[in-house]
Amino acid sequence: MAKKWLLFKQLAIKSWIMFRRYFFNSLGGIITLYVIFLVIFLGYKGIAGLGPTDQYLSIEGILVGYILWYLALAAYQDVAYTIQNEAKQGTLEQLYMSVHGFGWVIGFQQIINAFYSLLIAGILAFFLMLTTGKWLNIDLLSLLPLLTLELICFAGVGFALGGLMLIFKRIDSYMQIVQFVLIFFVAAPPSNWLLRLMPGTLGASLIQKVMNGGEALWQLAWQDLLLTVGVALAYLLLGVAIYRICERKAMKSGTLGHY
Amino acid sequence: MADTILKVENLSKTYKVRKSAPIKAVDCISLEAYRGEILGVLGPNGAGKTTTVKMICGLIKPDSGSILINGKDNFKQRSAAMEHISAVLEGNRNIYWRLTVRENLEFFAGLKGKDPRAIKKEIDYYIDFFGLGTKKNETASKLSRGMQQKLAIAVAMVTGSELVLLDEPTLGLDVKASYDIRDLLKQIAAENGRTVLLTSHDMNVVQDTCQRVIIINSGRIIAQDKVSNLMRLFDVKAFKFVAEGRLSENLKQALTQIPHLALVEEEVDTIITLNLEEPRNFYRVVELLGSEDVSLLSINRQELNFEQVFMEILGRSENGGEKMAAL
Ligand SMILES: Nc1ncnc2c1ncn2[C@@H]1O[C@H](COP(=O)(O)OP(=O)(O)OP(=O)(O)O)[C@@H](O)[C@H]1O
Ligand SMILES: [Mg+2]
Repeated sequence: MAKKWLLFKQLAIKSWIMFRRYFFNSLGGIITLYVIFLVIFLGYKGIAGLGPTDQYLSIEGILVGYILWYLALAAYQDVAYTIQNEAKQGTLEQLYMSVHGFGWVIGFQQIINAFYSLLIAGILAFFLMLTTGKWLNIDLLSLLPLLTLELICFAGVGFALGGLMLIFKRIDSYMQIVQFVLIFFVAAPPSNWLLRLMPGTLGASLIQKVMNGGEALWQLAWQDLLLTVGVALAYLLLGVAIYRICERKAMKSGTLGHY
Repeated sequence: MADTILKVENLSKTYKVRKSAPIKAVDCISLEAYRGEILGVLGPNGAGKTTTVKMICGLIKPDSGSILINGKDNFKQRSAAMEHISAVLEGNRNIYWRLTVRENLEFFAGLKGKDPRAIKKEIDYYIDFFGLGTKKNETASKLSRGMQQKLAIAVAMVTGSELVLLDEPTLGLDVKASYDIRDLLKQIAAENGRTVLLTSHDMNVVQDTCQRVIIINSGRIIAQDKVSNLMRLFDVKAFKFVAEGRLSENLKQALTQIPHLALVEEEVDTIITLNLEEPRNFYRVVELLGSEDVSLLSINRQELNFEQVFMEILGRSENGGEKMAAL
């Protein structure tokens, strides 16, 4: 247990060093996200007068959707790109030789990454709200569990893609497509069963209800909450299972550290 | 007497490659490394060195065979085995370029379960030992290639592993850096009692640093001896390669191109004796024999007796006057 804590601490220190050392990089990322939103926002204002808007098409809805999209993106890219970058840097095999087992290493790394993603999402949300003048309901007690479930769900997607990267190596262009598919997942209303089972879709709608509709966690339908938990865990387990299969294959074909 | 830290038995690995014949990279290799020694694994490109190293590291799954590190199976008791082993892999960077020298050492110590604060002394020691003192707060990306390699080796050392694997540690380094690293390796073994297993295709590196050497070719061990003995092997004017299997005409032709080489077929058509006078052609012969499905049974120093000299001269003369003249 002490050893696991040591691992967590070392990973956290490494992440913090990298974050600090490459702060302007991170800042650039946040500014880009901010600018993209501005473009969407101004475009939206241009067409807003055209007809009635429902919850998803209101500016608040788009704001929440945008932040969720960022989080989804961050969650799956953190996993997949961590694995890819480590392979590129020639450190993946070193991580595999850790005494803690690679599962712990990548698991802890994800928790740490999630922390940074939430932090950045928070900062981004603040500036977006400031710009649009629409103040959302930031009820952390209700939001954090739901956001965590979203992160878990997309981390699952990330593990699956990270595993495929171990085998197929050059799948960056497909990763780009996934970015856009994610918009669909977090923006689609969970109007039927299929959509409710898509990664993050139901969770996103619940977050909309909290941030945009002002509801609290306990006011949400328990069936929806339960399903969101189930879906998140299912995608995580599925993703990890796919990763493990790919990992075993890469170890057989001797391509674990190749890139 | 010898205390075994690494025991590899009957290790085999065949890569299945889509749309082409499977590649037998490692073919039933057994070896042991003893505590405190520097063991060299020598072989030409594609001999199976990296595959062997990565299997020992638990990064490539062998088809068969077993690997015990300090008595622990490296797949079945992975964590326990990993505590005793670290590696600097071929061509890889092995370290984080965005971290400084010190940060790298601290991070990887943690990865191996060592609290960097508890081993601060060791970290300082290795920073000094590898001459990284003036660079300890530089990011690894700013170091020279030789320095980066030193840092990678320092990282492997600082984790306290008893067995350190180095795959081609001097590859791509300039002469000065290569010599530096060789000297450091010798000191490490002498001072710290670590076991180092290093691979190389460079005879000189192995001769310079290792006490014992294993020569592999086409995935098989063809010689295994103390370096001093092996050097005597190279000193002697001739070797005897005993190979089983039928040599193709192509192969025979290629072999006879090598100067000072005589080829004698013994006992029907299965055993072939090759006498060779120039050490630098040693690999060429091994390579040629390895390029076809010929199994090499042994390589021995050959004290030539009269009869053999006679046979050799006979063999050379049959290969044309040019080689006769070279004699
Ligand atoms: N992942 C892989 N997939 C398929 N074949 C491979 C793979 N890795 C190595 N090989 C093949 O297996 C054989 C042994 O390779 P290996 O890298 O172990 O040799 P080596 O002794 O390290 O050579 P070098 O001196 O070039 O580093 C070679 O024929 C190589 O082409
Ligand atoms: Mg190699």
